[in-house]
Amino acid sequence: MPFSSLPEKDFVGKQEELDGLTKRIVLAHGSQARSAVLSGPRGMGKTELLKQLFGRLFWGHDRVAPFFYAPSPAVLSAKAFSRTYLVQFLSQRLAYQKKEQALLYHDGISIDDIGTLAEERGATWARDILDRYERSASEPLDALRIALNAPHLSVLATGTPVAVLIDEFQRLKGITIEGNPDPKLVSLFEEPMASGKTPHLISGNAPEIQEMAVAQGLERIPVQPLGAESAMSRARALLAVHGAEGTIPHLLLRHLGGNPFYLACIVRTACAKKVLDEKDFWNAYVREIMEGPLSLSWSAVLKDFFPDLEVRRAALAMAFMMCHAADPHPRRWFAKSLGLTDAQVSATAYSLYLAGLIRGEFGVFRATEDRVVRDIIEELYQKEILAKPRHERERLFLESLLPQKENAVHFEMTIPMVKESELVVAQCLEQIGKNLQLNEDAIGQMQIAVIEACINAIEHGKGMDNKVRIVVAVEMGRLEVSIESAGPEFIVQETGEPFGDQAAAKASGRGWGVKLMKRFADEVVFERTAQGTRTVLIKNLGTSTGARKEDTANRE
Amino acid sequence: MMPKGYINDMGAVSLERTSEQLLGKGAKTLIVNFADVQYINTIGVSIFTGMVHKTQEHNSVLCFTNLKKVHRDVFEMMGLIKHVKVFNNEEDALRSLRRKESNAE
Repeated sequence: MPFSSLPEKDFVGKQEELDGLTKRIVLAHGSQARSAVLSGPRGMGKTELLKQLFGRLFWGHDRVAPFFYAPSPAVLSAKAFSRTYLVQFLSQRLAYQKKEQALLYHDGISIDDIGTLAEERGATWARDILDRYERSASEPLDALRIALNAPHLSVLATGTPVAVLIDEFQRLKGITIEGNPDPKLVSLFEEPMASGKTPHLISGNAPEIQEMAVAQGLERIPVQPLGAESAMSRARALLAVHGAEGTIPHLLLRHLGGNPFYLACIVRTACAKKVLDEKDFWNAYVREIMEGPLSLSWSAVLKDFFPDLEVRRAALAMAFMMCHAADPHPRRWFAKSLGLTDAQVSATAYSLYLAGLIRGEFGVFRATEDRVVRDIIEELYQKEILAKPRHERERLFLESLLPQKENAVHFEMTIPMVKESELVVAQCLEQIGKNLQLNEDAIGQMQIAVIEACINAIEHGKGMDNKVRIVVAVEMGRLEVSIESAGPEFIVQETGEPFGDQAAAKASGRGWGVKLMKRFADEVVFERTAQGTRTVLIKNLGTSTGARKEDTANRE
Repeated sequence: MMPKGYINDMGAVSLERTSEQLLGKGAKTLIVNFADVQYINTIGVSIFTGMVHKTQEHNSVLCFTNLKKVHRDVFEMMGLIKHVKVFNNEEDALRSLRRKESNAE
């Protein structure tokens, strides 16, 4: 179904991205719109963005007809695929003409039904495309070519541009001719994708799409995670939909990494109760990790990439080992530990990467940074490899995740934007470290990082409200310092990083600030907020990560 | 030279000025003792780059002593440490320089 079930007003935190995509598509009037790939991890909201865009174009006055298609893994023979693609396109295009939503809900509409409909509507262009298709139906390759070019043919006949929105694009690698998959068939998309009147926006599993030749020349549009405030607003909206009350803990929100799918899963599970406290949300998270839709979706991904049980177990073990390794292990190490050949290790690691369960950078595979995926891997490993009983796994998770409230400490302060006021924050941090007996080296590193973040906030927020708001939180073995100021130009949307003008920043010696923050904090997050911009610096205290970072600093 | 407190743009500029004066008077070795430095920032460190260049132009040597680990890391990250000589303290720096002088004789 091309329409989203979520009303646009509830599409919190994604309006800017939706506006950007709409603007991009509307350029099709001048033949300038370019095809692109929506890129981002699973659950980040790519499908929802396409569906929201479909709704906007369908009901809006931009005079660009939308066509949404999500290939089914069951319909991948060239013959069946081309027929379905063509039927879907023509029914959506005819529905658009008269804003006739009901036509989109017709399941099982046949090619003859579409032909009749086209004739009734006097849509001779649609009848012509169908005739061309039927004449070529015996040649699957020709039929496929006509189906993929149908949007372009409609533009030539009607003058109305078409935005082609394809989800799960990677599935098209599996199009078959006479039962044999031929990944090259998907290159037939190149021609319609090149037309400025039929811009294609494709999405799906980013690592797989990245490997497809047809997508390599396309611009990549990163779909950003929800910022802290947007995630909180989205959570509130979801709670309201379920008629529940409560505030999702800040730490859990951060744990979810701004992933809208994760957030929706947790809130839905938590809403079994109507009044929720902090512990209810954490319990809901653990339930989701162990048996909810979130867990099921990742288990399905694992099964999809590793259908063989033994291979799946090895893959799971490998992903688990990566999550627990301070530095990447060589291929030989995995081969020895898992009783595999080097080639098997390479193939397994590559599939884990394509599945989104690990990262692959410059030929080195590492554990994913997605904490939810790490928890899922941990849970599956404990369950399937170590066969630990459910109650024990649940206890372990709750112990490791539930915040130790009695140890949680928060300090809030506001500093004026005057010279050297960053020192006030640095000195406060030192005192907090002494009071809580925190690791001195870690505090020293965070002081340097905080000084840089405050200087940035002062530089970029001057002339606004002339204040910098600081929150220092120590909980669950983490020191978190957030620095917020007004500063609309602070973040580059494409990268989510600060400094629009890199050259100017370098020239003034300020280009090093972000590098230094990243060097001394374990995690650095830049967020847009209602007030401006927030930089969050996180340091793990007394963990292997924290120690590793310090070791690295000493070595280099 | 013994800077104190916070090395930011102002602190580093005054240090740079002092070093220029000393180099102008023919100083062959400059020692910066960081024992009383509490904080540094990247603007301050980038100004040290100018000091390094000036010292090299005068065929002199720039030495850092009493650097805290975290400050050393900052200098390292910004690529400065390879252009200066680092010693634990001033005595070590002076001893090493005297040894070098006597070897040269």
